[in-house]
Amino acid sequence: MREGVSALRRRVGDSLMLRSPVNRAVAWLLAVLGPAVVAFGLLPVRSSVGLAGFLSGSLLAVIVVAVIGGVWPALASAAVALVLGAYFYTLPYDSLNIDVQADFVAFVGFVIVAAVFGILVDELAGMARQQAALRRVATLVAHAAAAGELFGAVTEEVGQQLPADFTRMGRFESDNSVIFVAAWSRTGDEFPVGDRWTLEGESVSAAVSRTGRSARIDDFAAVSGPLSRYAKDRGVRSSAGVPIVVEGRLWGVMIAGSLVRGLPRDAEARLTAITDLLSTTIASAESRAELAASRARVVAAADETRRRIERDLHDGTQQRLVSIAIELRAAEARVPAALTEHRAAISHAAKGLAETVEDLQEISRGIHPAILSKGGLKPAIKTLTRRSAVAVELDLQVEQRLPEQIEVAAYYVVSEALTNIAKYAHASLVHIEVRASASVIELAVRDDGIGGADPSRGSGLVGLKDRVEALGGTITVTGAGGKGTSIVARIPIDGKSAPEAKGPRS
Amino acid sequence: MAPEGRRPPRVVVADDDVLLREGLASLLDGSGFDVVGQAGDGTELLALVRATKPDVAIVDIRMPPTNTTEGLAAARVIREELPSTAIVVLSAHVEVDEAMDLLAGGERLGYLLKSRVTDIKDFIETVERITAGAAVVDPSLVRELVAARRRHDPLDDLSPREREVLALMAEGASNSGIAGRIFVSEGTVEKHVSSILGKLDLPESETDHRRVLAVLRFLEAR
Repeated sequence: MREGVSALRRRVGDSLMLRSPVNRAVAWLLAVLGPAVVAFGLLPVRSSVGLAGFLSGSLLAVIVVAVIGGVWPALASAAVALVLGAYFYTLPYDSLNIDVQADFVAFVGFVIVAAVFGILVDELAGMARQQAALRRVATLVAHAAAAGELFGAVTEEVGQQLPADFTRMGRFESDNSVIFVAAWSRTGDEFPVGDRWTLEGESVSAAVSRTGRSARIDDFAAVSGPLSRYAKDRGVRSSAGVPIVVEGRLWGVMIAGSLVRGLPRDAEARLTAITDLLSTTIASAESRAELAASRARVVAAADETRRRIERDLHDGTQQRLVSIAIELRAAEARVPAALTEHRAAISHAAKGLAETVEDLQEISRGIHPAILSKGGLKPAIKTLTRRSAVAVELDLQVEQRLPEQIEVAAYYVVSEALTNIAKYAHASLVHIEVRASASVIELAVRDDGIGGADPSRGSGLVGLKDRVEALGGTITVTGAGGKGTSIVARIPIDGKSAPEAKGPRS
Repeated sequence: MAPEGRRPPRVVVADDDVLLREGLASLLDGSGFDVVGQAGDGTELLALVRATKPDVAIVDIRMPPTNTTEGLAAARVIREELPSTAIVVLSAHVEVDEAMDLLAGGERLGYLLKSRVTDIKDFIETVERITAGAAVVDPSLVRELVAARRRHDPLDDLSPREREVLALMAEGASNSGIAGRIFVSEGTVEKHVSSILGKLDLPESETDHRRVLAVLRFLEAR
């Protein structure tokens, strides 16, 4: 992840079309040396290659310089070639005089071609770099880089490259306010990330929110509003902001500011270049957060329904059946002893009813384990292991009660694992380990069976994955080559790493 | 069915389901018990027990207001204030920890599944035994404990007959009770019992109640 984010920083620099100082130095050096090498290299054969040969060779050098250093070094390179060409390759040789008029035309043509090539190559290279950067960002997003971490890296890179003294990334809220989701400053000043600022009064954020366009303030002396007051108090000289548009709607703002010098004139243009990249990241992070949240909602809703059904069955149906059975028994007792057949019939019905009640208990236990809500994980898992068809070694270290969703998820991990083992594993022993600390619960279920559990085979394992991941946890199933199967799950308890808390809200 | 010449045992019934409660009460009434009161929740039950001082209280575990373990809590209070009151706790589910917790409270205690109530004859007999001092555990709970599979299971050393005797010990049967159930002499049961205790390394207990608890603890912990 670390490398991922630092790679992203480099890409962000590229997409601003900024080149490293080394690149720039090399480009300028080549701008002079390239045509010179061509000029002196071809000197022995200058009468046969002629001016055209020299200019063709120089054009190559110009293109290389354009790729490395952009359009300005490329033009400089063309100018150097012009001088060298006039001196060495036009008659009279070894003088800047040009006798042949056709050579003038060749030079004009060369300058035009070199300029066009320089500009085109520069743009193409920039686009290629931006495409590569986009691809990398997309990859990072696909690897579930935490949105906060990405945003933090982006604000820092923008600040370093622009250059600015501070940068902030804010998300517009529906109540005419902005929440800053990431911030960077050169001096290390902590800007309160996560705070909500009203957009009343004048500020760069307010202007961007109102117009949907970039905005800039170069004098904070006369402006009002809390954000501008904050800027004024911190001695901000100038500040610029550009809109971040995600899937067609105005999502937020990217702001850069400087304390002493003013911002570069093209600060807004450079900032705009980065927001395209950001919107992809944000869109993906948002849909991922939404997906996780909706998964959690689906799981919670299903659990709630099951709990209600279990309660209804237990408090309603089951109780009623038991009391009907008792009534039948009472009726049986009132039947005169002589009517043996009638007695037997009633007794038979009562017995059948009692069996039905037991079946019903079994069913409602499968729907929702009442013991879990009552006693917590410890007795619930112990009960599971007692009912296991395969011998179980249990290492259970859970003393406290955990949030309900987590208890339910942990319970189903063990229960589903035991069901699978009984059905497919041909195991003789299962080892179950459950440990809960203050921040995480870890479960491991390992058997000594034939292995080869395929998560895609049963819906059970898929359901577990949904359940555990909806809580921000992880679950892995391993088991190839006949060495048994192990299911290992980790579920965070503190809730901080729950996906809803991690991704940006819309 | 109360013994001749003695007053019938006085009983209170606590369950929030009125139909079930009434049914139970009329059953007990028809079977030689004197039903002195009914309660719908833990608070009512405690007031009733304090007022009537019954011989036995039959208590549903799950009662309002929280529908979790009010019955157990009430049972604990009764045990503390009026230790001579026998208590029969009715549970809808087999829950081992619940039963252990309850049985640790001493003699004259029973843990039965609600569905057991429908086998009237057995249920009445069980309540009578508990009232008389026995500790009784629902057979399905014992069955679950005995059936649990373990590696290096000490129960593997027992003969099938000994396992049967062990289960009956866990249910709270006395030696004579076991003898009646498996049709052997009491002397034979005694032999089985001491063989079992030896193999499982369990201490001889002076009372049936202690024996039940020891066996259950062993089964649960093995």
